[in-house]
Amino acid sequence: MNILESISTALRKGDDEEVAALTQQAVDEGTAPQEILDDGLIHGMNVIGEQFSRHEIFLPDVLLAAKAMYAGMDILKPQLIKDKIPSRGRIVIGTVRGDLHDIGKNLVGIMLKGAGFEVIDLGKDVPAEVFIDRAVSEGASIIGMSALLTTTAPVMQDVTSLLKEKNLDEEIKTIIGGAPVTEKFAQEIGADAYAFDAAKAVECVKNMVQKG
Amino acid sequence: MSDTFRFVPEDIIPTEADVLHHQGIPIGVDASHTIQDLLTQAMEQFKSSAKPEGMMAEIQQAEFTDIYIGEGQNAEDAILAQIFPRADHLALFALTMGAGISAKIESLFASNSFALGSMLDAVTSLAADQAAEMCEGMFEETLSSRGQTNTETRVLGYSPGYCGWDISGQKRLFQTLKPERIGITLNDSYLMTPLKSVTGLLVSATREVHIFEPGFSYCTTCKTISCRQRLAELSVA
Repeated sequence: MNILESISTALRKGDDEEVAALTQQAVDEGTAPQEILDDGLIHGMNVIGEQFSRHEIFLPDVLLAAKAMYAGMDILKPQLIKDKIPSRGRIVIGTVRGDLHDIGKNLVGIMLKGAGFEVIDLGKDVPAEVFIDRAVSEGASIIGMSALLTTTAPVMQDVTSLLKEKNLDEEIKTIIGGAPVTEKFAQEIGADAYAFDAAKAVECVKNMVQKG
Repeated sequence: MSDTFRFVPEDIIPTEADVLHHQGIPIGVDASHTIQDLLTQAMEQFKSSAKPEGMMAEIQQAEFTDIYIGEGQNAEDAILAQIFPRADHLALFALTMGAGISAKIESLFASNSFALGSMLDAVTSLAADQAAEMCEGMFEETLSSRGQTNTETRVLGYSPGYCGWDISGQKRLFQTLKPERIGITLNDSYLMTPLKSVTGLLVSATREVHIFEPGFSYCTTCKTISCRQRLAELSVA
């Protein structure tokens, strides 16, 4: 087993200390940071995502793997910055105005980072204007919105409407999720994607980025 | 005047099976040693960090009508509007798991301990639900000790933000009950801090009063559907 496979395997086991040690070893041995990221860390997270989608593993397993991913990224990040390696995409996420429930949004953020995306987390109770202003200022191509309460889900429409109003809806895509939200609701408010869970959110974001 | 009281964390801690189910692990599937270890840690951290408190105050129907009208944003077909006028007794309640446990969950996420943070979040959410059920039982006991219940009496809680009772209903509920006394505050969006807090109305009524067909406008977007289990229990009783 080469070192990249070892990183991927350790990550899938949720062994953060081993992932950190192996990532450091790979860096020291001169393996390209992009290769360590793609074929070690992201490869491991992709397998985890697939296993989770097939219900072979469960949420705690995914979160342990994510912690291991972060441990590897801590080692790798300075190298990636030094080599000016771009992320797979930049996404702004937040829980909409009027909602303080952020566990689902946090899970999506963790999974997206694990998949190699740059995530700007605006936190909770985020007004529509802030989503858009930050997406523009950060150069993000996707806004991800979460809501838990039926009463706050309509705030998502404020964001999609405002994007249209500002002629930004082609440039910045939207993805929504959360307990009161459905595929039908996403279509009704003009959101570009709906994700049932964090794994699906990653899949949707990958597709959206590929389509450009 | 309302009564305040403390819960013993051990009395409201959920079962391991419920927590695992909440974490997406199907009932009957054995959790790995790693997950079991996380669960044990989360249970222990809940017991040491949670400071669950509650309060309750009886209220007359006329006074509750004003609270219910609230900011005028309830669904026209909100089920509570049909239930509370037929109640025998009403009480407002509020409870919280405390600020410390929310801070603990946040700090776990901040230090990348996502799995333990998520597990502790699940334990705390389920404990809050359990505490709400205990409030129902406490109110029923109080009424029973005064000879104000019979074999058909059921006490159930209803909360703003659910079943057509708009979340803005929190405003007048807070003005009346004053949950700030147990550390719960309300923001401009009618959301509570600490997050793991519950408020609502306890309705003591004959069993049939609580029974309804969940086919209202707001039911189509509801994924909580906790009413189904309550209705099933009421129907069996």
